[in-house]
Amino acid sequence: MDWINAGIDGLLKLYFAAFSWAPPLAGLAVLSAIIGVAMLWVFGKTSDQKRMKLVKRKVYASLLELRVFSDEPAVSWRAQKALFGANFRYMGLALMPALWMAVPMILLIIHLESFYARAPLAVGREAIVTMGMAPGWDARSPVPVVTAPAGVEIAGPPVRVEAAREISWRIVPRADVSGQLVFRVGGTEIARGIEAGRTQRYVAGRNVRSLLASVWDPAQPRIASDAVEWIEVEYPEAAPSAFGVRLNWLVWFFAISVLAALVLRKRFGVVI
Amino acid sequence: MSGRMPSLVAAGVCALLTACSHAPTHASGKRMIVLGIDGMDPQFLEAHWSSLPNLNRLRTEGDFKPLATTIPPQSPVAWSTVTTGMDPGGHGIFDFVHRNPSTRTPISSMAEVTAPARTLTIGPYLLPLSSGGVKTMRAGRAFWQTLGERGVHATVIRMPANFPAVDCEQESLSGMGTPDLRGTARTYTFFTDDPAENRKEVSGGEVVKVKLERGRAWLRVEGPPNTLRKDRAATSVTVIADVDPVADVARIELGGQRAVLHRGEWSDWFHGSFPLISGLKSASGIFRIYLQQAHPYLRLYVSPINIDPADPALPISTPASFSRTLNDAVGPFYTEGIAEETGAYRAGLFSRAEFLTQSKKVLSDSLRLYRRELDSFQDGLLFYYFSSVDQNAHMLWGRYDDDLLEIYKIIDGAVGEAMQKAGQDTKLVILSDHGFARFDRAVHINTFLMQNGFLQLDDPKNVGDQELFAHVDWGRTVAYAVGLNGVYLNMEGREDGGIVPAVDRQIILDRIAARLKEFKDPATGENVVDTVYFSDTAFQGKNLKYAPDIIVGFRRGYRASWQTALGAVPKDTVEDNTQAWIGDHCMAAHLVPGVILSNRKIAASDPGLADIATTILGEFGIKNGPGMIGRSVF
Repeated sequence: MDWINAGIDGLLKLYFAAFSWAPPLAGLAVLSAIIGVAMLWVFGKTSDQKRMKLVKRKVYASLLELRVFSDEPAVSWRAQKALFGANFRYMGLALMPALWMAVPMILLIIHLESFYARAPLAVGREAIVTMGMAPGWDARSPVPVVTAPAGVEIAGPPVRVEAAREISWRIVPRADVSGQLVFRVGGTEIARGIEAGRTQRYVAGRNVRSLLASVWDPAQPRIASDAVEWIEVEYPEAAPSAFGVRLNWLVWFFAISVLAALVLRKRFGVVI
Repeated sequence: MSGRMPSLVAAGVCALLTACSHAPTHASGKRMIVLGIDGMDPQFLEAHWSSLPNLNRLRTEGDFKPLATTIPPQSPVAWSTVTTGMDPGGHGIFDFVHRNPSTRTPISSMAEVTAPARTLTIGPYLLPLSSGGVKTMRAGRAFWQTLGERGVHATVIRMPANFPAVDCEQESLSGMGTPDLRGTARTYTFFTDDPAENRKEVSGGEVVKVKLERGRAWLRVEGPPNTLRKDRAATSVTVIADVDPVADVARIELGGQRAVLHRGEWSDWFHGSFPLISGLKSASGIFRIYLQQAHPYLRLYVSPINIDPADPALPISTPASFSRTLNDAVGPFYTEGIAEETGAYRAGLFSRAEFLTQSKKVLSDSLRLYRRELDSFQDGLLFYYFSSVDQNAHMLWGRYDDDLLEIYKIIDGAVGEAMQKAGQDTKLVILSDHGFARFDRAVHINTFLMQNGFLQLDDPKNVGDQELFAHVDWGRTVAYAVGLNGVYLNMEGREDGGIVPAVDRQIILDRIAARLKEFKDPATGENVVDTVYFSDTAFQGKNLKYAPDIIVGFRRGYRASWQTALGAVPKDTVEDNTQAWIGDHCMAAHLVPGVILSNRKIAASDPGLADIATTILGEFGIKNGPGMIGRSVF
């Protein structure tokens, strides 16, 4: 899993770097459009296009029937039933391509979170770094020693949260930073990235220890210590904007990819 | 003034959506900046000119004069006069607290809430079918309404007694009188597991005992009463406080928001969403948390829940979106009418240093808003109100002058910024509503009335701090006191069960006035009262529905007790003021004037607060409206 994560991240970093000259939304828009076209292609290849065409005709016919015979309850009722059945069949037909696309899309979205979902920490603004400890942790045991990169201040001692098996530090970035926080836990050193500044960039989510958890939090190397389950920096949410409209990146992603698929469906000869 | 003032304001949280039509105003070409600095005192300025370079330069290059205040010299009264150009007899506000004439219970003088007239009951819910409302109790037109009608743009930030913000075309943000989200004047919560702390109700707030399990405490932070429920159960959010087992540090969490606080640190703003109908409707509030200590016992302060300027549940601005615009520009800010935490200081929960830190945070918030407004000011009028001098003077006056001077210096810096912005072509006016004096002796006016035979208890032994006239025998009582300067007759036909016939009114008033003038402090033999005013003759306006029959003008050093304000009858007439609230101004008006400074010469020899609205309108070529009694000071 580690090398899959590293591979996907590596490719996306290359792509992100190619758009480093432009606002984040530009790269996201192009990527979303490409993904939209890719989804369209997969949909075309993995769905029963003939049956889908028939079902869609049935839907249109039922809608027309409803409109024309709106004053005849029996006909309207029959049309409603047919419409419902056709919709159900359409969903059934769309299930197979959805299953084909689900895994790569989920993986892609998880990886894209590091590029578009989180903003770097604001310089001068406090943030919290939390370490999740493994079961059996003694809250009165000495706290791990943290070394911060230049430009990041550790503001006072951490708080050990016994009820949640967590340790939280308060940090304050004092300058633009792209560096590593290093935690010494027992004899092991654990490093995790930290980003602060105004420019949107790759901002990793949690470091995790378990292989399974690394599917959902793939952006950092897995933790080597048995004493620690995860480490997280609480980054602010990024919201790419265009023309004064600021939206969650997923809204842009799905809107643009769906739009691209709709616009190009006839050119690709795909019924969706 | 702090203290809890139960009200129905929260009733409006769910039902109220006010509309305000906003026609664009055109540029007038003229510019004027007015800074209202509550409580800035002429004598304090005179003693500290060398430390206040901007105010001093304004004085030497422009002008400086005492500014006559209102009768009584209380902020809501005085600023209502500034707003309308009327005396209290015109705008109808006579105190922080009025009384319901029929029940004699204290009510807010500034705003009134009406619940929806028609509702629909669905299970435990009570859905409004007609709109409720919050309305200001102040009569008269605000000067910025008049400016708007004449096409002059005005921005008015935090004008006291302007809640709800008057419907108008201008940009305004409400000030003193704006409730917290609970609908009270302000209510903080102090959470602790300290066994030595056994109080529940304290000045301006409440103490809640908590239990820590594995270092964790679940803190129920109360929001507004749910007026969409039949039982009006209080809404709440749960804050989790995790205390380190050894170090003096805690982690505070609400939803996805977290803060790590060390001993003596303040959090940034937390946003709380108080559910009214689960998943469908909620009221949005913001609050700050202060960790006084984590060990040996947790002592944690949660500020009053401020109405969220980004999503206001009540009408705190015009246009309604203006508070959101400000929030977007400068981040969340205090929206409650008076945000300085005098209550926790009075209750002994805060030290003076803690109070000063908190009040400087309030001032810092205010300065962010101020600078935003100053930067964007182009044309017309900018009015900005600062509360910090007043609130700090209440706690520091005469004993901690150096601390108070620090606040004056910050304000002096703000004045300097306004002077720079104003330059030569913009008229700049700095004014205060009243000055200050020591508050050494607390006067129990109801006890004085009792000792002079004007007020009777059911049993003379029932003297004490019980409020709301708990033991007063209304069948034998001629007069009573509510608020900080007011004495009311128990009038037949006005008060429920009142006994004073109209024909005897003036005789009794004269008798009470004579006794008040003879009133000696039992400890010192000094006169307690300087001036006695009759509302009938003290004001030009005749809007006297809520006016006290007598307004007591105390000598410097004396003020009505807190117990008097809420209708208690303690044992003694005068006692030492042992509270942290050591400065005040609710005395004879001529003893506590405010100030006016300008970058122009002030022509008026004895300017007063009623002149300010006239002066502002006059600057834009507008004459006095109906009921306005002032003249331009220039």
